[in-house]
Amino acid sequence: MEEMITIYEPDNSLRKGYLSIFGQIFTELKQNRWLTYQLFKRDFLSAYKQSLLGVLWAIILPLVSIAIFIVLNRSGILNIGDIGVPYSIYALLGIAFWQFFSNGLVACSNSLVNAGPMILKINFSKKSLVIAAAAKAIVPFAIQIAMVCILFVGYGRTPSIMGFLIPIFLIPLVLFTLGLGFFTSLLNGVVRDIGNIISILLMFLMFFTPVLYAKPKIGFLVTVTKYNPLYYLVSAPRDLILKGSISEWQGFLIVCLIAVILFFVCLFGFHLTETRVAERI
Amino acid sequence: MGKDTVISVEHVSKKYCKSLKRSMLYGAMDIGRNILGLSSKSDRLRKDEFWALNDVSFEVRKGETLGIIGPNGSGKTTLLKLLNGIFWPDKGKITIRGRVGALIELGAGFHPLLTGRENIYINAAILGMGKEEVDKQFDEIVKFADIGDFIDTPVKFYSSGMFVRLGFAVAMYSRPDILLVDEVLAVGDVQFQMKCFSRLKEFRERGNTIIIVTHDMGTIQKHTEKVILLERGLLSCIDIPRNALNQYLSLMSGGIRANQVMSKLRWGTENDSERVKTTKPPSNNTQEDLCPRRFNYNIFEFRYGSGYARIIDFQIVNNRGEEVTSVRSSEVILFRVKVKAYKFVEKPILGISVKTKDGIEIYGNNTLYADIDVPPLKEGKQLLVEYRIHFNLQSGDYFLSAGVAEMTPEGISPLDRRYDLVHITVLPSDKSFGLVNLATDIKVYTK
Repeated sequence: MEEMITIYEPDNSLRKGYLSIFGQIFTELKQNRWLTYQLFKRDFLSAYKQSLLGVLWAIILPLVSIAIFIVLNRSGILNIGDIGVPYSIYALLGIAFWQFFSNGLVACSNSLVNAGPMILKINFSKKSLVIAAAAKAIVPFAIQIAMVCILFVGYGRTPSIMGFLIPIFLIPLVLFTLGLGFFTSLLNGVVRDIGNIISILLMFLMFFTPVLYAKPKIGFLVTVTKYNPLYYLVSAPRDLILKGSISEWQGFLIVCLIAVILFFVCLFGFHLTETRVAERI
Repeated sequence: MGKDTVISVEHVSKKYCKSLKRSMLYGAMDIGRNILGLSSKSDRLRKDEFWALNDVSFEVRKGETLGIIGPNGSGKTTLLKLLNGIFWPDKGKITIRGRVGALIELGAGFHPLLTGRENIYINAAILGMGKEEVDKQFDEIVKFADIGDFIDTPVKFYSSGMFVRLGFAVAMYSRPDILLVDEVLAVGDVQFQMKCFSRLKEFRERGNTIIIVTHDMGTIQKHTEKVILLERGLLSCIDIPRNALNQYLSLMSGGIRANQVMSKLRWGTENDSERVKTTKPPSNNTQEDLCPRRFNYNIFEFRYGSGYARIIDFQIVNNRGEEVTSVRSSEVILFRVKVKAYKFVEKPILGISVKTKDGIEIYGNNTLYADIDVPPLKEGKQLLVEYRIHFNLQSGDYFLSAGVAEMTPEGISPLDRRYDLVHITVLPSDKSFGLVNLATDIKVYTK
């Protein structure tokens, strides 16, 4: 067997040059696939073990939000806008994509802090920890998509055939979530306020993003929506399922590029500092 | 780095921050610098920072077992964490050859709600094992952990013994080349500890390296070949176990470092490394200290104390009154110790202890425990104390230590402690085995 030599010294990574670090990162990710899966399994199994309704909670909470929006709409407080499909399908799809992002980001931010004692006792890849945390968001997402399918049948409608391309259109959303997640997990490791700040920000952001309502045509929300990357990330896959095409290609492509860059920059930064953060956990 | 060196630690330092708020600030600054590709300037201290480890250097060769001892807070665990790569050194360089496994806490990473089976897989993955490796060794892990039917029970219902057994089993089967062990074996019961140590022995016999952090002197004696003594982040000595332990004991019971006391009394100024090997009697006192003239005198004795009263002579005599260097097993010997006071000592305490050549303390006693009144000792006066010892020990080499201390309102203050002062050999008298000779009469009755 090849002898493995490890060297620890201050600013270790810097000495090796930036290019070789990318190689290192990807070998590490590849080697730790099984670890990532095991960490995901651990989070998944433990989250639902001591609960009666288990994964069903993933569907109960969105249904409550949708019900609130329906009531607000009927009473005239809020105008959902023209959407052309049954509202519950539109809203649930929106929530599925939105929560894929928000659940993922919250889980990532807390991943290092929650694993604190473990990080201080065993040396393992912290990237796996963040990725496994993001992967937790897949479970409620899958259930919500299943619920959407049931709604389609219930309303006697058929989704667009282009809907099968969804996995590809999710990639930018995944990269965006992971990129931000790497960054916030580091910050949260050092300053615990970050976790709370993120929860509050996400709540605001959800109301400023056309998840439960259609894209506004008047008012300041038009400008907000235009520069909100999450609008494109959520509405593009939703449009694809409902209409079979994406209404704002240009915006979506730019956001895709942003997501890819964000992911690589944050992954790189995470790699350089993951051990430093262990000291502050 | 030599050919068979597996761990090389060169001038390694690690700093910590005392203030949590500042630690947050520094953390954010360090991370910022690291991301921007700037040097983290970790070699200097900022406000509220201190060196938890300071300029530590040593090497460990393949197959060696190294012990790390030191009082609480001396940096033992930090050193292990640096060796394991959990923390980065702030100065210096650590080079490691081979896969490192760490037993810093048994069952770290176990999730209480998950079953033993699930946790084995997860923990193994965290420790760096692949799926095939775990599949192959799963049965052995379960067998070693001895948890039987509980394998499919959530680990939160495990007894603490079962929990650590499972943790140990998984860690041992992750097949590292170098194993770091941090005080974890103390948690299990005796049977489990024996099992662990025999497992560690096998591990070592396969040519692997072990580093043990412990407060248990017996473990150090029995299982290590070389010991590092850390004291407030500094490496205060690297030596064979017996010498390092002596220094540690003096550190713990004296509270003050022996060389500080000695320099105060101007007993010569040997540097640390020499002091560990041998403490030469002070030159101006050679005429008074007759111990080195005795045949049984051990030149590697370790001596410390304030020196206000000193042991100036000793004698080992058998029950026929002859001065001897060896005794027969289960014979009675008289150990006579002469003490001279250099200052008025109001409540003297006199004591002895017997150690094996590995440094394991077999027996100790003193006038305080034995409830014997020792009269106050005036300056310049001498005192003779005679210990009558039943030497019920197996054949081998033993060391006798003698000491004189004073009872003060603040506690016991050591005046002169001479560890391993006398070397004595026990000759076999009858056939038996074990550490002591319990002189058993065996009778067999037939019906």
